Amino acid sequence: MMGRTIFIDPGRCIGCQACVSACRECDSHRGKSMIHLDYTDEGQSVASLPTVCMHCEDPVAPCAEVCPADAILVTADGVVQQADTTRCIGCANCVNACPFGVPKIDLGAKLQMKCNLCYDRTAYGLAPMCATVCPTGALFYGTVEELQAERPGVQVADTFVFGSTEVRTGVAMVVPADKVQWPVPGGLPVVEINGKDVRR
Amino acid sequence: MVGAAVSGLLILAIVLGSRLLRNFDSALLPYAVAGVFLAFGVAYRYTVWISAPGAARLFKQGWRSLFSAENFRQAPTALPKMIATYLGFQKFLGARSHARWAAHQLIFWGCVLAALITFPLTWGWFTFTSGSGSGPGYEMRIWGFKILGFDSLSFIGWVMFHGLDLAAVLVIPGASYFLWRRMKDRGASTGQRFGYDLIPLIALIVISVTGLLLTFSSIFLHGGGYEFLAVLHMVAVVFTLIYIPFGKFFHIVQRPAAVGMQLFKYTARQDDEVFACRRCGQPIDTEPYVENLRGTMRDLRLDFDEWAEYCPRCKRVLRGSAYLTHVKKGFK
Repeated sequence: MMGRTIFIDPGRCIGCQACVSACRECDSHRGKSMIHLDYTDEGQSVASLPTVCMHCEDPVAPCAEVCPADAILVTADGVVQQADTTRCIGCANCVNACPFGVPKIDLGAKLQMKCNLCYDRTAYGLAPMCATVCPTGALFYGTVEELQAERPGVQVADTFVFGSTEVRTGVAMVVPADKVQWPVPGGLPVVEINGKDVRR
Repeated sequence: MVGAAVSGLLILAIVLGSRLLRNFDSALLPYAVAGVFLAFGVAYRYTVWISAPGAARLFKQGWRSLFSAENFRQAPTALPKMIATYLGFQKFLGARSHARWAAHQLIFWGCVLAALITFPLTWGWFTFTSGSGSGPGYEMRIWGFKILGFDSLSFIGWVMFHGLDLAAVLVIPGASYFLWRRMKDRGASTGQRFGYDLIPLIALIVISVTGLLLTFSSIFLHGGGYEFLAVLHMVAVVFTLIYIPFGKFFHIVQRPAAVGMQLFKYTARQDDEVFACRRCGQPIDTEPYVENLRGTMRDLRLDFDEWAEYCPRCKRVLRGSAYLTHVKKGFK
């Protein structure tokens, strides 16, 4: 059973960028935001999606598994840390292997950076910066029980499907109650985008 | 196996290099033994490290790129340039912070100097001999062969006999800066571990300070406290050498992997082999690198390697679109 974690509800996201600004204040990557806010259906709707590191549990952190320099550490409580600055060689394996498109890379500094669940705060029981400032609750930090007490009837899903592969994560997404059994679609296989065939 | 073989080879090199132990200084035995342990540990850890799928594939590709005809033909200067800028002057650290770059350069060159002196000296490869027995004319010999002669009272002589002091003078400010940063900088102190992040810096400072104190003792105290300091210095060095393969210092051994990685990408870029995102067309990486990563992912049974053909933003947008289409249709 999941403990305290982030629950993402894209249905509540208004794309205000407050989380992006707040993320810059996280001590582990001061001044740089590690949260992604994407407008998924730009020009057609106002839909937006905040993406934090999903802290993959099974398979355990693909970013760490493909890292050739053992630079990404997974803590005992399941938090996938950003790359160790002494070890990271800036190869971008993690960036390209992450199915969620989370890690960023600074090619000049040869350094990967990513959300590490505000470890400086969550290790002491505080909510991550993004969840603290989110005005609509699209990013909620707490337990499933706390989420459900606040929002009766919601369910969460912590499994994503990429093609034939399932990835179970430490961060979960809010799903309508009648679809709780669904793993959340990861977007693969990609056949068509906005009516355009993207296959080669 | 590999560790034992490397240690065995080193012992053989020590015996032969010290002219069947004739030049071996038994007072330096603990350092030499620590050197053998270091060789064992590094070889063992290195083998384990490059056996993992991600490192193994990169290791092979790096060497393949180096010995490829394309590399010799199109970029013969690329490797020396990368070694100098990346491994020697660590340009990438300047992009992280100029102060960190400067401090790291001090530690790096100080440690290089110290290693170049310490290892050959403790293995009996270096000897300083004087024809007259009392100087001031000295000869420096490596494996018994004379390399240079110098006057111990000249500037060169002073530098030769105070090389480790000079190394300590370089290392102390560099390591102190990093120690200060770890105490003060909120970014650096987040998630830091005492054994991993602080012990190496403390060890460097202890080695340097006790080393300088040995010189201080011999010049100003007529050798007062020398034995105690010598033991303290030796213990600090021995523990640090043994710690190298298992802690933060292992990055010294791992760093060259970055040169292999860069060379692999560089060689492909010379041939314009850039892989574009299947959705938006933005370049992701070089084609062989993406293929290499997909191979690594398959080795690891991460069966979504096809996903590596999309840029991070497209992955997020596609996932968002799928969520909107299949989970919550409220926006449409």
